[in-house]
Amino acid sequence: MIEVEGLTKVYRSPKKAPGLWGSLRSIFYREYKKVTAVDQASFRIAAGERVGFLGPNGAGKTTILKMLAGLLVPTGGTVTVAGFTPSERRPEFLRRITLVMGQKQQLLWDLPARETFELNRALFDLDKAQYGATLDELIALLELEPLLDRPVRNLSLGERMKCELAAALLHRPDVLFLDEPTIGLDVTMQVAVRRFIGEWNRRNGATVLLTSHYMADIAALCPRVIVVASGQVRYDGALDELVAQYAPDRHVVVRLLRPPTAEEAAQSAPLSQVDGRMEALVPVSEVKAVVDRALRTLPVSDLTVEEPPLEEVIARLFAREKR
Amino acid sequence: MKRLRQILRAVRAQMRAAWMTAMQYRLSFLGEGIVSLLWTGFTVVPLIVAYDYREGIEGWSFNECLIVVGVFIALQGILEGFIHPNLGSVVQLVRRGTLDYVLLKPLDAQLMVSVARSTPLKLPHIGVGLALAGVMAARLPDPPGPAQAGVALLLLLCATAILYSIYVFIVSTSFWFVRVDNLSFLLISVLDTGRFPVVFYTGAVRVFLTFILPVGMMTTYPALALRGLLSPRGALTALAVAAAFLLASRLVWRTAIRRYSSASS
Repeated sequence: MIEVEGLTKVYRSPKKAPGLWGSLRSIFYREYKKVTAVDQASFRIAAGERVGFLGPNGAGKTTILKMLAGLLVPTGGTVTVAGFTPSERRPEFLRRITLVMGQKQQLLWDLPARETFELNRALFDLDKAQYGATLDELIALLELEPLLDRPVRNLSLGERMKCELAAALLHRPDVLFLDEPTIGLDVTMQVAVRRFIGEWNRRNGATVLLTSHYMADIAALCPRVIVVASGQVRYDGALDELVAQYAPDRHVVVRLLRPPTAEEAAQSAPLSQVDGRMEALVPVSEVKAVVDRALRTLPVSDLTVEEPPLEEVIARLFAREKR
Repeated sequence: MKRLRQILRAVRAQMRAAWMTAMQYRLSFLGEGIVSLLWTGFTVVPLIVAYDYREGIEGWSFNECLIVVGVFIALQGILEGFIHPNLGSVVQLVRRGTLDYVLLKPLDAQLMVSVARSTPLKLPHIGVGLALAGVMAARLPDPPGPAQAGVALLLLLCATAILYSIYVFIVSTSFWFVRVDNLSFLLISVLDTGRFPVVFYTGAVRVFLTFILPVGMMTTYPALALRGLLSPRGALTALAVAAAFLLASRLVWRTAIRRYSSASS
């Protein structure tokens, strides 16, 4: 569905010397520096996949997404999405994709969301019956009914995002580009949006590309992740493998019925006592042995084995990059 | 044909949304009508002063001059009601990056930004201008027939096309410079020179208003047509100039769109 080969985007941005003198000088003589936002990115995404883009701010995630959606013209490399070259922005291509940006909105501010939906129906030239069916489905999935007739300016951020999603999906695109769709939303609303995106993908088999600052979004939705840093693809593969590769340890925590004797504590190594419980970071291959031993030797009341949080995994990946 | 119908439906839907937004502030509609009448009065005052001491200026009597004023007011209404709200919003769209959503629709982006914010608010203004030109033309010793009136309206359309194109040039620069609001105010000021027949100006100003920014052509030609003084060649020239401006604006827009870098998230 998506093929990207050697994709590169170089911006020319004005270089300004600091201070007033620098500003004055830049009016008459402006120096430019080249900023490589995306550098030789290559990947393929099959139809129906859900892929998360991870990376620090300014890594180039959004630039890649915008080139895939045809908003930016690449400086180099090739992109095809659903068989089209996005930057040509052919109507047939634009009917097959959608882009939702958490920080920008297409809803008409002074009018109820229903009017934006009607407008999009006309702009995409949607068949009335099909539009009605899609809208009903979206209303049910996103629980939009009570929001439809209130001016958009009176909706909360989360309610607006639900309507944004509906407006973006009325034409039933095959490819969804979602740029930080949950940004700024409270936890309940984040979960609702996440659940909706997953359900939509399951029902329609649409390809989903998602960028998010919230690892929970990626963990819940994307079996595959592409990690981008400094414009380059640093990792492309299963989320599980990323975790296995960069977080080979599990956090084993044992809560006890009573403090252990010195002998019990010695037998249960590598677990050590911290704040009245026993815990250790254990390589995945040894988890079973450590847990078995703990259950045999210690007065266990509760035992947990946890993966490190995704944030930590990513931080480790970038830390390794820097070294 | 099917494509054309689809485009018309899309344009209608855009305008419907814009009008509905405008209706939210329905008092302004009444206010605009009153302001337009007052404005017309003020526009006429300098002419009354100028004509107080003489019969005609450069071959234009007071009444004939008012035809130019009428055309000017109509054109001003078109600029302020249909061109400025639409194309002026492009600067905002570029700055905020929301032009993204326009570019994501399967319709021509230039067409969409050109109609999206059309509102009826300035219709009274345009009406007052057309009425003034019409009434003054009817009072001429040799009033124009339907053919001349048709040519005059066609020339007004040409004027609209030229004005629209110039505005497209201006907003296209916003893809490079981002803040160009001031340039559009400059255009509105330059259009102000169109309230008098172009022959009133001399020297460099007249050359500028005839050949570089053809404001003279925009307001004087329709009035000349109503007076029966515009040669077919003059009318054809106006058509050709309008077509050339439209074509150039299209090229400039397409180049600018490729430069669009979108505001980052």
